[in-house]
Amino acid sequence: MRPRLDSLLRTTTFRLALVQAGVVLSFVVLMLVYVYFATAGALIRDSDELANQEYATLERAYAEGGMRRLNQEVVERSARQGPFLYVLAESDGTVVTGDFQQLPATPGETPERISINFEQVDADGQPVRGRASGRIGRLLGGPILMVARDLADSEVLAARITRVLLTVAIVGVILSVISGLLAANQAARLAEGLSNTAREVMAGDLTRRAPVRGAGDEFDALAEAMNAMLDRLEQLMQTTRTAGDAIAHDLRSPLTRFRQKLEVALEAPPDSVADREALRKALDEADRLLDMFAAVLRLARVEAASNWKFERVDASAILQELYEFYEPAAEEQGRKLTASIQDGLVLKGDHGLFTQAVSNLIENALKYTTEGGNVEVRAVRRPDGRIEIDVLDDGPGVPPAERDRVLERFVRLESHRSSPGVGLGLSLVAAVARLHRGGLHLRDGLDNGGHKGLGAALVLPALAAR
Amino acid sequence: MRVLLVEDDADMAQTLKSSLTADDHEVDVANDGETGENMALAGGYDVIVLDRMLPKKQGVAIVRDLRGQGVSTPVLILSALHDEDHRVEGLNAGANDYLGKPFSTRELLARVRSLWHGRDRGPQTQLKVGDLEMDLLARTVRRDGKKLDLQPREFRLLEYLMRHSGQTVTRKMLLENVWDYHFDPQTNVIDVHISRLRSKIDRDFGQTLLHTVRGSGYRLEG
Repeated sequence: MRPRLDSLLRTTTFRLALVQAGVVLSFVVLMLVYVYFATAGALIRDSDELANQEYATLERAYAEGGMRRLNQEVVERSARQGPFLYVLAESDGTVVTGDFQQLPATPGETPERISINFEQVDADGQPVRGRASGRIGRLLGGPILMVARDLADSEVLAARITRVLLTVAIVGVILSVISGLLAANQAARLAEGLSNTAREVMAGDLTRRAPVRGAGDEFDALAEAMNAMLDRLEQLMQTTRTAGDAIAHDLRSPLTRFRQKLEVALEAPPDSVADREALRKALDEADRLLDMFAAVLRLARVEAASNWKFERVDASAILQELYEFYEPAAEEQGRKLTASIQDGLVLKGDHGLFTQAVSNLIENALKYTTEGGNVEVRAVRRPDGRIEIDVLDDGPGVPPAERDRVLERFVRLESHRSSPGVGLGLSLVAAVARLHRGGLHLRDGLDNGGHKGLGAALVLPALAAR
Repeated sequence: MRVLLVEDDADMAQTLKSSLTADDHEVDVANDGETGENMALAGGYDVIVLDRMLPKKQGVAIVRDLRGQGVSTPVLILSALHDEDHRVEGLNAGANDYLGKPFSTRELLARVRSLWHGRDRGPQTQLKVGDLEMDLLARTVRRDGKKLDLQPREFRLLEYLMRHSGQTVTRKMLLENVWDYHFDPQTNVIDVHISRLRSKIDRDFGQTLLHTVRGSGYRLEG
């Protein structure tokens, strides 16, 4: 689709081009005025100066030789081929000799500048209009002298200069308008490309990307930023779709069981013992559904990462408390929970989320450890300044190839399908880690006679020591 | 005791009302925030149970205004929004307790009773339940005159139970008030802590003080 002219006229770049043309035009006009006065104006001023010198020469001749000498000089000079025009008149204005039959003007008391228009007959007998400027004045004793210089040569030159300047001005303005139009057109086409991409994405094709030309300019930067945004959007859509499928699947099963239990209880003949058992089971299913909803909502809230107010969190103290909280229950269940927690580990974050993330890791480890197994909590400040919290177990572990997958929502390994939980525990820990600009990494855990259990490493940035 | 229940969902209000009535409370129901606030201002209630999201006036605003007008009746806020910051907002507004939906009826009943009993006990330095005595200043516990050796957390657990002696306290109440944890552990962690405490305060003595209330929680009773 070609950008139409009216849309072109509205573009920012075109408006900038117009402003640019205006600036060029004003500059050219100013330059024209300046050059005119510097050249044509100077020529006329020089001409006046020459006329003044000639006047002064004749004034001296009069002072030395009187009227006779002056008359002779004027006759001689006006007979010569040259740019000067002369008139000598009696004090009453009667012309004695010179190039004109009449005085073009009546002089005042002091010599003054004079500018005259006249008509002459040239060599071919054609009348030619001319312009001259010079000096007119009364000499001592009465006679009037006028010396003027024909401006024809200066004016021709000045006219030529003016014409050149005007041409330059017109070409300059035209060029700046054209370059503005080209730039506007280019910008309009680039913007059009970006908005086309946006429209196609909105129409549902999430794989579309804006073209990057490799020019490295701001349009490329914009296109790259837009593409990065589209990548993130596509990824989020993908996650949402997967999560949606998983929620639908995981919620449908307990809901179906829930419905079935109530249905069976209703259809069977009244039997208070069986009815109560059915109700109890239905209640369990309802609780399971509600837990799942709560977990999904909590995860969504953490992932939305909008308005968490982070505060100073004493990680060492929280970890020690969690250890003391879980240790008795672990022992009761025949597991050994140990901890080695470095003192003074402090981070900036959300107290509740951090506590919950670590408790998820500990519960997860305890859940997948068999009786007689070990779970170890370690927390250290690493050489790179980050805090690493490891929760290691000697349970069945997770094969390296599946470790990334178990961090996704709702994923539980097939072998764990039967155990309680909704497969969101580790996803939440990973989301909390991301929110705190850290990460959750799954590794080998404790050695258990030949094979490795699971090790979860929560790595978070530490708050700088005060 | 007299309970004011402010809840706009008619079904929910009816269910809660019958549960509270069955637990020997006299219950009035308001269906929107404004009516609820006016009834609360009229006085005469021992406990107010307030839904957070209400037509006309929100629960948190009602508590703030009631406290502003000097009404000190204990308030329990019920809410589907029970993230940490929502809870803190409700408590800062002047609510005495905050319970997230969904909750079990037993949880609600235990908390309503706990609010009523805990309402105007001033600062205490000595707690006593039967022959069990706690000195809060010296941080010592004696039963039948014999000194018991408790860990700091066990001391806090027992202190909470003694302050609520005669009432049922739920596992959730213990988690929130003794550990300040606002999540549900999936294992029986609380039960194990209780059984350890029980072995210290009850095992060598004739009469059992710390009772398990089936399906609800625990009760310390002399």
